[in-house]
Amino acid sequence: MLQLERKKEENKDILRLIGEVDASNSILLDQSMQEILEQGATVLLIDGTELVYISSAGLGVFMSYLDDFSERGIRFAIFGLNEQVNEVFKILGLDRLIAIVPDLSTATRLTHES
Amino acid sequence: MIKTSALPLGRISLLLAIVVWLALVLVDLVRIFGMINNLDSGIAEEVTWILEILFFIFVYLVYRHIFWKTRQSDFLNLIWRGVSTGLFAASAGLLTELIYYALGESKIGTDPFLKNVFYHINFAWTSAFLIATTLLWKHLILYQKSKQVVNQWQVFEFSMAGALFFVFFNHNNLDYSFLFGLVILLVISILLAVNLKWIPYLNFKEKWKTLLFLFLILLCAGFLFYRVLDSGNEGRVQINLTDNLFLMALFGFVFAYGLFSFLVTLFNLPTSSVFEQKLTEAINFQKLSQSIQPEESEEQVLDILLDSCISASFSDGAWIELNPKEQVQIKNPLRILDESTRGELIKLIPQEKQSWVYTSAAVILQPQTIRLIHPNYKSALLVPLVVNKSILARIVLIKEVKEGFNKEMLSIIGTFARQACISVENHRLLNQAIENERYQEELKIAQRVQKALLPLKLDHPESFDICAYSNTADEVGGDYYDTYQVDENHFVLIMGDVSGKGTSAAFHMAQMKGVFQSLIQLDLRPAEFMKKANAALSKCLERNHFITASIFEIDVVNRTFCHARAGHIPTLWYKANENKAEFISVEGLGLGIVRNLSYKNHVQEKTCEYHSGDILVLLTDGILEGRNETGEQFGNDRLKKIVEAHPQKTPIHLQQEIIDSLHQFVGGDGMIDDDYSLLVVKFK
Repeated sequence: MLQLERKKEENKDILRLIGEVDASNSILLDQSMQEILEQGATVLLIDGTELVYISSAGLGVFMSYLDDFSERGIRFAIFGLNEQVNEVFKILGLDRLIAIVPDLSTATRLTHES
Repeated sequence: MIKTSALPLGRISLLLAIVVWLALVLVDLVRIFGMINNLDSGIAEEVTWILEILFFIFVYLVYRHIFWKTRQSDFLNLIWRGVSTGLFAASAGLLTELIYYALGESKIGTDPFLKNVFYHINFAWTSAFLIATTLLWKHLILYQKSKQVVNQWQVFEFSMAGALFFVFFNHNNLDYSFLFGLVILLVISILLAVNLKWIPYLNFKEKWKTLLFLFLILLCAGFLFYRVLDSGNEGRVQINLTDNLFLMALFGFVFAYGLFSFLVTLFNLPTSSVFEQKLTEAINFQKLSQSIQPEESEEQVLDILLDSCISASFSDGAWIELNPKEQVQIKNPLRILDESTRGELIKLIPQEKQSWVYTSAAVILQPQTIRLIHPNYKSALLVPLVVNKSILARIVLIKEVKEGFNKEMLSIIGTFARQACISVENHRLLNQAIENERYQEELKIAQRVQKALLPLKLDHPESFDICAYSNTADEVGGDYYDTYQVDENHFVLIMGDVSGKGTSAAFHMAQMKGVFQSLIQLDLRPAEFMKKANAALSKCLERNHFITASIFEIDVVNRTFCHARAGHIPTLWYKANENKAEFISVEGLGLGIVRNLSYKNHVQEKTCEYHSGDILVLLTDGILEGRNETGEQFGNDRLKKIVEAHPQKTPIHLQQEIIDSLHQFVGGDGMIDDDYSLLVVKFK
């Protein structure tokens, strides 16, 4: 079960993931990301505070947008991941490519700085 | 043993009937001779009665046999039997009249003996006719048996049997007891005569024939009755056989039922087309409801439906329009009308009613009537055919009269349409099931092919034991492991995991094997191997797919292994001398995530020394992420504890222990929703 909530704060698009991202619903995450990008977002933050589980298919979605982000200069960060999910990102090495931060304020600061 | 059916019961009865009749004639002649000459013939009148009763019984048996033989035949055939007997009886009567008319007042003409012989002949034919017709009526009355009707009939039969012997009580007088008995039997006859359920089953033509036959039977019965009364009145016969309650009651029954049938058939004539129509509808309905066989097509169902709708509504024209999105073609979509008329009529139907968009509004999905403004055609009925929430087709029925479609037509056409839709839907589901079956077969082949991609035999030297296990969440999966002997002292272990699962993962797994098998020939250091693998796989993986991998190069002489990890689950290393297991930490990014040369910055390698009794457990995330019913994951710690608890076990037993623990943990309600693989190495 995955629920997606979109929110816009100033120049930031915040996508909140609630539940689990697995092979069956990673397409929903992909669609949401696609939409946000098409609407010309400049800062995209993923709120993972209520993300319980993410499978490799879900990680694949984030991964597939990394080039787009750097090409279009979109600042991207993920915040609020629980330990288990954070570990998944770390094992794969995605923490080297994506800004993964503890909370929204850190994420906001980070995306402002860069 | 003699088979009862082999006995010619009918012929025996016929023979006996004739013998009894001859005896009756003889006895009566003797009696008449006695009466005329005032002599005591020595034969009591009871003998006549007994012979008469026997005659009735045998005639009854003869006809019962005949009807029993022909019980399969239709009504008209049955009735014809009655008619033919009646005509014979009436002809016999007429012939007698003619003969006596010709003889006039001559000596022979007044001879009592000859008269009596003729009287007996007529008596025999009349009895035969009455008994035959009664049996015929029985057949018709009991056409639709119910307990009540059967009981009524039995009462009638018992009463008739009583009437047969009534003559002993009444001595052939027309007294009050006779009249009383007759009235009772007539009442029963009339009660029985309302059982006319066979008549609606006749079609229009058959009804006309039946009317004719019934008329002939009534005519014969009337004529014969008149003759019986006549002969009784004239008193020219000294021995009266026909003033018999049984015979009179039979007359009454035959006449009553014949008359009722005649009248009811007559009054049923105008409505018979309705009954026939209903019957046709029932047959059409049956045709539609028979599910289409795989070799038949949806077109045939639509064809039958169109014809059924036309016949149910008496339409003056019709056509079927197919949803352009559906891949159905119908050869002859237009009935009665020509193409140009159809063009005119289509323009008269409101556009919004011709939409192919499915809405849940039930109104749209029911047959709807439309008023047309056209010189020849005044009303139309649109019948949408809805299959699986989309409009498959639409039938348009056209009539020349205004408001030509009544409520019954709408309801029957609606039922036809629904039934046809169910047939089409069933047909599609069946085809889908067949298709699915085929895919399942294909997947089984894929599964077999993929199993062959994993090594059957694992290369390893004397100095370590190894075993591996792999299971997929779906038919095929994305996990891969392999071993390779570089030279005498160098062995390589690989484990890989494609992101996602199922068919796409399986294809990438095959690519991974190709890349790994090629690169392994180059004798690269593990980190270098990963860089090259990343470069090669970046070219073939879909954008949102990546692969994680672990590689170990084992040097059995120096007892070291060099390890690199590309985003893969860290390998568990049990150190025998410390009696402790830990996950080997080494940095490394998954393959295919960074698809340029910068990947070299993201991978490291690490060389470690191992000792005798050390164990390496390579695994994929499916194991650690197996969850129990509360959603808790199997996790690192459980794995670590299992290995620490069983360091003495051989690789194969340790592997089994891990798999068993995983299944036990996950339980019946939990799930392992991913491919999972294990590779266990134990150094000697």
